Amino acid sequence: MADVTFTVDGKKLTAPAGTLLIDACKAVGIEIPAFCYYPGLSLQAACRMCVVRIEKMPKLQTACTTTVAEGMVVQTETDEIKQARKATIELLLGNHPLDCPVCDAGGECELQDMTFKYGAAESKYVEIKQHREEQQWSPVVFFDRPRCILCYRCVRVCGEGMDVWALGIQNRGVSAVIAPNGQDHLECEECGMCIDICPVGALTSGTYRYKTRPWEMTHVATICTHCGDGCKTTLGTRRSNDGMEIVRGDNRDKSGINGDFLCIKGRYAFDFANRTERLTKPLVRQADGQFKEASWSEAIDFAAKRLREIRESKGGQAIGVIGSNRTTNEENYLLQKFARTVLGTNNIDHHRTVDYVSFAAALAGKSERTASLRDTANAPAILLLGNDPTEQHPALAWNLRSNVRLNRARIYIANHAEIKLRRQAKQFLEIPKDGYASLVQYLAGNDSVVAANEQTAAFRDAIRKEESLLIIFGSEFRGRDIQALVEFGLSLPNTKFVLLGDYANSRGAADMGLLPDTLPGYVPVASAAHFADEYGAVLPQNAGLDLLQMFDAAQSGNLAALYVVGSNPVTRYGVDPAVLKNTFVIVQDMFLTETAQLADVVFPAANLYEKAGTVTNTYGDIQLVKKAADKAGVRSDFELIVRLADRMGADLKKLVPFGRGVRADMGQTRGAQSGEADRHSVWLAAHGLEPKLSPFDPFATLDEIQRLVPSYSFSRLELLAGSDQHAKSELVQISAAPARRDLVLPSQDTLFTSGTLGRYSDKLKEVLDSHTTPKPVEAAAD
Amino acid sequence: MSIVRNIAAISKGMSITFKEMFQPTEVENYPDGPGPTRGAVLQDRFRGAHVLQRDENGLEKCVACFLCAAACPSNCIYIEAAENTAENRISSSERYAKVYNIDYNRCIFCGYCVEACPTDAITHGHGFELASLNATNLVMRKEDMLVPAVGMPGELAAHSDSVK
Repeated sequence: MADVTFTVDGKKLTAPAGTLLIDACKAVGIEIPAFCYYPGLSLQAACRMCVVRIEKMPKLQTACTTTVAEGMVVQTETDEIKQARKATIELLLGNHPLDCPVCDAGGECELQDMTFKYGAAESKYVEIKQHREEQQWSPVVFFDRPRCILCYRCVRVCGEGMDVWALGIQNRGVSAVIAPNGQDHLECEECGMCIDICPVGALTSGTYRYKTRPWEMTHVATICTHCGDGCKTTLGTRRSNDGMEIVRGDNRDKSGINGDFLCIKGRYAFDFANRTERLTKPLVRQADGQFKEASWSEAIDFAAKRLREIRESKGGQAIGVIGSNRTTNEENYLLQKFARTVLGTNNIDHHRTVDYVSFAAALAGKSERTASLRDTANAPAILLLGNDPTEQHPALAWNLRSNVRLNRARIYIANHAEIKLRRQAKQFLEIPKDGYASLVQYLAGNDSVVAANEQTAAFRDAIRKEESLLIIFGSEFRGRDIQALVEFGLSLPNTKFVLLGDYANSRGAADMGLLPDTLPGYVPVASAAHFADEYGAVLPQNAGLDLLQMFDAAQSGNLAALYVVGSNPVTRYGVDPAVLKNTFVIVQDMFLTETAQLADVVFPAANLYEKAGTVTNTYGDIQLVKKAADKAGVRSDFELIVRLADRMGADLKKLVPFGRGVRADMGQTRGAQSGEADRHSVWLAAHGLEPKLSPFDPFATLDEIQRLVPSYSFSRLELLAGSDQHAKSELVQISAAPARRDLVLPSQDTLFTSGTLGRYSDKLKEVLDSHTTPKPVEAAAD
Repeated sequence: MSIVRNIAAISKGMSITFKEMFQPTEVENYPDGPGPTRGAVLQDRFRGAHVLQRDENGLEKCVACFLCAAACPSNCIYIEAAENTAENRISSSERYAKVYNIDYNRCIFCGYCVEACPTDAITHGHGFELASLNATNLVMRKEDMLVPAVGMPGELAAHSDSVK
């Protein structure tokens, strides 16, 4: 729209006509206070805090509902306005308890801030405050009614933002009260957005309430370890007896790729890190078959000695390596380098949740064809094939809903189930579970493959008319189907693609070559010349065993050793424990999982919240992971791989290119430390390397990744500043997808599960239980 | 005239000296004096070792708001908060201090914590005999600082954290 010019507090401003006055002021740094206004949600004008004086208007006007107009003259901070705001706060405080010292919001409460600013500390109201007991609405949501100032933000974010509509208003006027949909409890997605958005402490979090105060915690913004969306979650940590403990996860500064949004897993499912049964000492299986705790040097020596013996007697092909979906890119890269140079094998794989290799091959050489998570919030048209983002990619679902609501995006959905997002869809097509490939053929113009009717024809016509389409698809497409879909998409103008994988770094695991047939950047193992040059080693040329072949080999006695990093294949693939009885198994994990129970050596590993590095979400957005928590006794997978390689006699300078250049880790990877846990400096001191770098420096490995993997040539400065960087799929050096089984096993996670890791989260379990056993409806909430 | 002024100044000073010479002496016979303070005379405003107060029902006044820890310039207060339950009620509010430590190695007795406290839970007592040969003894726990639960209803005393 055309720009208009107006004056605020004597400053001449320009903004597009139709902009809300409050937004226009904020854009130039004039902050108008508001409780009920929230960008992106519908207007409420309930709190009367944003009143301003506009010339030629008889009374004070609300800035949150007034649009800017040509020649408008506005005052935002006069004595009259201050008096009006003070009176508003006085009324709000009329029934607001003065329990700031115990309130969870104390210190980050908007009402507290405004009371300080406008000084309504003393009230002329003498009426007795009405007290109501606190109510628990769900395992994660508590409601303290007297604190509520009725801004309706929670009602709107739950309804408009989440499309859940679990909160509403009961009664009218002074007796109005926020109430949940299930009489006395919430029936919802437990996202916690209502708690996040509450300007006061009326809605409080079940994991954080009464634990500590905001200023007592150290806040570290890192990337969520759960699904493939890669949301930023800010972890509040405090010192504990054995390191730094996570007390809270939230979306504190909303600066991440997820914008305003964070789901239950990012917000509450950090509690696995604090579980008491976490491993903190290495375990070595004794002759009697029992595990015994061992010292680090004993356990690493033992594991390294056995691996070396096996490598020397049977060769690398008798060793298998299984990587993780939740370790950093640097760790994944280092693991494949360790497997290929130190162990001398291509038998390396991970739990694949989608077929990234075929996707990379289909898009090789095509620039600007993959979309960021950010693009899903403003693409004009979206075709969603398969997957259920509401359950598996909550941030994507949020973006799609917001996009429809704010930008009137057109969403076309074809799915075998009636997924919730169909409520936002312009057209929804229900197709059989095996009908995705034929649907793509039909869309491409082949009428014979599906039972075409008016509905399918309308669906196809609408999609083909779109001038800029974003195609989002899930694990229903593999191999050739991806190729066909991409070909169809490229026949339309301006198409972008997104492939939805399941875990925090599934994409990174594939990008970093945790696959038997491709090196980092999807370079086929047979054409590994520049990798061999860089590594200074002879790399195995033939494709290795994939994950299932490794277990077959173990059964037939051809796999002498298996190295499992942060993965639980025994449960995931239903492996018979007897298969591994003659294999030497090393497992790195947080817990004694089913796989770890079969191991000969178990190393206690750190999780993604306890290390630094980068991860790549399923859209290809590379983000920085910062170390937030710390636990005495565990070590990062990076350090464990380095130590194992060291004891196997590998040259560490070749494995981790540390000591080159000036990209030193000056302690960023260490995070908040307590006590003696500073292993980084211990190693440095022990080897006379203090002023240089250590082999535990993931950024040294990131240097090497950026040298060897062209699609990861992003700005390091931007990354360190906290921005997300998009991988450049056009630079992937792959011509055609190798003919092989795709081995895709979707995780089938819901909002409340997260693979093996989710089983160790008490909060997720509690929420899951509360959703599977419905409560009997009792008295009304009030 | 400077000689006259100098003599006047000296005689004014000496007059105070000579007057004080004939006053009775006042000696605090600490530590051999009478009473619980063993002869030490302390002003009301004296800022000694902290005392954590109880309310009229014998519940702890501290609600673990962390404001004392935030106000402390020497960072010597460590608190862990926990939630009161119906069965185990420690303070009158929703939250209480499960752990409340003051490190007297660091405390500078500035009194900011007392000023910051919204519930008048932490106060300065008159305890000053804090010297120790072992620095680890100088970290006082909540049980060391809490006023004894004597004279309060037995029910509450049974639930109290106090060891005294």
